[in-house]
Amino acid sequence: MTTATHLLAAQKTPLRATLATYGEFARIGFVNILAFRLRYYTGILTYLINVTVYYFIWRAVFSQSAAPIAGFALPQILTYVSVGWILRSFYWNTIDQEMAHEVIEGKIAMDLIKPVSVQAMWLSRAMGESAFRLILLTAPVAVVIWLLFPVLAPASAVHFLLFFLGAVGSFFLMGAINFMIGVCAIPLKSILALIRAKFWLIELLSGLLIPLQFFPRPLQLLSSALPFEHIAYTPLRIYLGLLTPAQSLRVIALQYAWVVALLGLGHLWWRRATRKITIHGG
Amino acid sequence: MSSAPLISVKNLSKHFRTFKRREGILGGLVNLFHRDYQTLKAVENVNFEIAQGEMVGYIGPNGAGKSTTIKMLTGILVPTSGEIFSNGFVPFRQRADYVKTIGVVFGQRTQLWWDIAVIESFKLLRRIYDVSQRDFDARMELFDQVLALRDFLHTPVRKLSLGQRMRCDLAAALLHNPPILFLDEPTIGLDVVAKDHIRQFLKVINAQYKTTILLTTHDLDDIEELCRRIMIIDRGTLLFDGPLAGLKERLLRTKQIKFILRDGEQAPRLAAFEKSLAAYPANGALRLERLDELTCRIIFDRKLISSADLIRQILAAVEVRDFLIEDEPIEEIIKRIYAGEDPGGGIPVPAAQP
Repeated sequence: MTTATHLLAAQKTPLRATLATYGEFARIGFVNILAFRLRYYTGILTYLINVTVYYFIWRAVFSQSAAPIAGFALPQILTYVSVGWILRSFYWNTIDQEMAHEVIEGKIAMDLIKPVSVQAMWLSRAMGESAFRLILLTAPVAVVIWLLFPVLAPASAVHFLLFFLGAVGSFFLMGAINFMIGVCAIPLKSILALIRAKFWLIELLSGLLIPLQFFPRPLQLLSSALPFEHIAYTPLRIYLGLLTPAQSLRVIALQYAWVVALLGLGHLWWRRATRKITIHGG
Repeated sequence: MSSAPLISVKNLSKHFRTFKRREGILGGLVNLFHRDYQTLKAVENVNFEIAQGEMVGYIGPNGAGKSTTIKMLTGILVPTSGEIFSNGFVPFRQRADYVKTIGVVFGQRTQLWWDIAVIESFKLLRRIYDVSQRDFDARMELFDQVLALRDFLHTPVRKLSLGQRMRCDLAAALLHNPPILFLDEPTIGLDVVAKDHIRQFLKVINAQYKTTILLTTHDLDDIEELCRRIMIIDRGTLLFDGPLAGLKERLLRTKQIKFILRDGEQAPRLAAFEKSLAAYPANGALRLERLDELTCRIIFDRKLISSADLIRQILAAVEVRDFLIEDEPIEEIIKRIYAGEDPGGGIPVPAAQP
């Protein structure tokens, strides 16, 4: 009977096929970003402008005296900012905005009819986009920044390796957070304000704009109990050699623990939200 | 079809809680602190069964609960109460496994990726559903034959016309050869040619793969061409479930005869005939309309007057060049059901199974 064979087809797929599926999503993410040339060029320009702005701000801050502030000398802070923006071009994604858009358009239903984990799907797509940016945005941006600004080399080869590990963690952390924000669109419908609030919260608490050492002590303590500082501050401190390799490994472990926790939370939050989906019309 | 039904739905209900917005500035302020909720019964106590290989039309006016039913059957919405078994799964509970065995098309939305070429979407779907390259190629070949996809496989979806997009969406939904296909208004907004493409394709799929198809539509031509069985839902409640032919037989009230006069000289004879019809015994059972100088139409109650009788009378009265006899369009019948007429026949309520 045909039904029997159809039922057989519904059995669990092997890991290889699962990986191939999400690999394909990553490819789609990659291809998707290629679809718009202008977006690509403006992306490069935006990052260069940002680095330039912060370069001159910090130059101005240090213009009165060259003494280190909160443990940062001028070359270090300039490296912090430059590498920070290079890092950001890699971990950045817009899962939350895209999900919000899908919910408003009712397209979220089309995700639900596919036999995939929606969370893994979004992360894979974002990973494809990040791979794209790493090769075609981050690399050229890094070269130009390197040529234009006095950027220090990483503290050591080990530090650079650990920095890379941390950067991957940053991507997943950002992805996990954005997915959770995106899921909020299901009950709330419009999450523009939420996305904006998250944006500034993360710009600030990730340590991208200002290293967290510059913050008042209580805020630093609060921040250390939150996941956000592991997005930028943690990998950047590793890059600059402000942490020993052993210390680095410890914070990276903490960073990945946050990743696992937030992915798990996001999964539960998604399950809860989809049980209450309301799509009207007919 | 003596075996167990492929889809069975029992006492299915879906209620949405919505809140009433108060009007005006003051009302808006009150809304911030207090909301009055009301329950919208989108689907209320619906029962049906569908056997393998059936093509069932699911119709109802806007907001009747069609899409909500489909969304529960596809696992997108969780029912408020009731049971769904489809292909051996409880859709919303075993979503990931279940959706591998169904195909879904929503006419108003696309499941393809908007900015990339159609073929890229197909490749991704091949991966998702783990379809072998050989099956993939064979099915693409078949789809291309009926739907003529080849010309726009490399175009991004956003640049396709609605008809092209629908054809692609149909192919995408069937790439993994699912035993069940759900279609929510697959022909909405399409031109005649595109509609025909879609209908032919559904026929081929149903015949070749025994695919069970449930489709909602507002176009009753879809139903007449494709479905032997229809279900009618309104205000969340199933009004009718049965063969289309039976419904027509029971509810068909009027027929019409159109005839064209041989020439303008028939006018006085026609006037006399019209007068004789006025004296026709069955009051209001018959009405003559003049469509233009030579064309006339008589609408009559088919239960009171036989068309043969009527034709004989017409031929005796005037000289006629051509005849056309038609049933009342199915739209009229459905309109009457929406307006409250009892479709009769009853809905076979499935016996409570142990």
